[in-house]
Amino acid sequence: MRGLRLKLIVGVTAVFAATISMGVAQERARARSPAPAGAKLSFIDLQNNARIPGKATIRFAISGMEIAPAGTARRNTGHHHLLIDTELPPLGQPIPSDFNHLHFGGGQSEAEILLSPGRHTLQLLFADHDHVPHDPPVISEKITVEVMAAPEEKPRTVAAPNARVFFVGLQDGAVIPPRSVVRFGQENIGLVPAGTRQDNAGHHHLLVDTDLPPLDREIPSDFNHLHFGRGQTETELTLPPGEHTLQLLFADHEHVPHDPPVMSQKIRVRVQQASAASPPPAASPTARTASGRTPAPNDAAVYFIYPRDGTRIFATSTIRFGLRNMGVAPAGVVRPNTGHHHLLVDVPTPPLDAAIPADLNHIHLGNGQTERKITLPPGEHTLQLILGDDQHVPHDPPIMSERITVYIGAPAKRRARR
Amino acid sequence: MTPGTKRLAAVRPGLAVLAALLLTPSTVWAQTASPRQPAPRNALVYFHYPLDGLRVPERFTVRIGLKEMGVAPAGIDRPGTGHHHLLIDTDPGPPDQPIPSDYNNIHLGNGQTEVVVTLPKGTHTLQLLLGDHTHTPHRPPVMSQKITVYVR
Repeated sequence: MRGLRLKLIVGVTAVFAATISMGVAQERARARSPAPAGAKLSFIDLQNNARIPGKATIRFAISGMEIAPAGTARRNTGHHHLLIDTELPPLGQPIPSDFNHLHFGGGQSEAEILLSPGRHTLQLLFADHDHVPHDPPVISEKITVEVMAAPEEKPRTVAAPNARVFFVGLQDGAVIPPRSVVRFGQENIGLVPAGTRQDNAGHHHLLVDTDLPPLDREIPSDFNHLHFGRGQTETELTLPPGEHTLQLLFADHEHVPHDPPVMSQKIRVRVQQASAASPPPAASPTARTASGRTPAPNDAAVYFIYPRDGTRIFATSTIRFGLRNMGVAPAGVVRPNTGHHHLLVDVPTPPLDAAIPADLNHIHLGNGQTERKITLPPGEHTLQLILGDDQHVPHDPPIMSERITVYIGAPAKRRARR
Repeated sequence: MTPGTKRLAAVRPGLAVLAALLLTPSTVWAQTASPRQPAPRNALVYFHYPLDGLRVPERFTVRIGLKEMGVAPAGIDRPGTGHHHLLIDTDPGPPDQPIPSDYNNIHLGNGQTEVVVTLPKGTHTLQLLLGDHTHTPHRPPVMSQKITVYVR
């Protein structure tokens, strides 16, 4: 019975294939691009039933044809598509573009994919400039991979045995208002932004109302696990009235806790009703976020492309700004995830809940500029960048650079020699 | 008879082309609803990274610098602003047409000033082109040099 059905399927497929090829040759107005008979598509170093980590790089090999980016119509070329957990799409039309059908229209021949633990199927399908599979279709075998529950053991960044993190001025059992600033510190370990790989250094994470996450992998990023990837040492926390727990956990450039883990005691705080004794934070009206400020992505950052901290620069120099994970918009423009630059010269960080002052030390780049030529007198100067929203108010969290120091003029020694 | 008609046939298209040449500029001017935005004469868009001839990994961040102008998201009509476009392995199209949106013409429509790209191994060209609120290049176009990078 089973044999019969198999034969039937094979027969049907053969007939189907034959009709398609004939049809294409004769009638179709827009024929599918032909593929040479010897074209072969396969995975590199990935066998059927392989076990892979949840985050894996999949490499594709095509032989007998060339890779060309989507949109480039050339004979015997095409680009890769990776089908995840799905059957072959209809071969006479463009391959859909969704989570199950990944397009590599730039001509990529590998991809880093994230898969949930469990069994998944992967299959490659080559397609032409219009994302339509070739005739005959160039398909890899469909393989099954098993994603292991635990990601592979990575060497964790080491921490000094006496390194510790702690809350500043916040004890176990403290009573705090619904909106309060939580400050934290670290000792015997360096504070560097996320992404900076350095031994015995990392950045803070605040765990709110949650137990410790697994210590051998990335700390989750959600409302219970707050990341301070720019090296912040304080945050404004808004909590509903009642009992809450807070705990600090330090982690390395990839948000993985250190070895040994550097964490604080889990403390309990009691948030009181906002009624009587609380200070007047309610002064800021019109909540856009809890703090009334424009929200910004947690991973956004502003930084100096030029100059670098501690360098000597010309009196008249062009200061160049970089912005990661956000866009630039002129002042007055309301667009999510945008803002405009402010260059602060020789002044401390201004209050973050009000519009950035406008004077000679607070240079507004209100037309969306991303660089500014300034002239400074000889000596030591500090520079800092802060992004402001349409109303010149810093975002929540504030997107600001570290305050860097630059020096103007030749060093004293060299001047003496002349 | 034959030579005469042939010459006539040759002349007639020539006249037609001439007429078309004379006519087009005025008609185009009359038709375009939104004239191209003027750009300051010394405006300049340039690469902070990568630089021409650099060897880069397959996945890298392109950082974009802009002189004498500002960045605004697409759709925001402000004089002296525009948004970036990264042209990969392609030449800019006609300067009076909106920049196409495809794999080779990457629009940074939210006012981004950097973008992470992944390119296959080999030689690639990159070029920056500023577009106004309708994705049309300015007058004159604010465009970088076309640079070559080697993806290793």
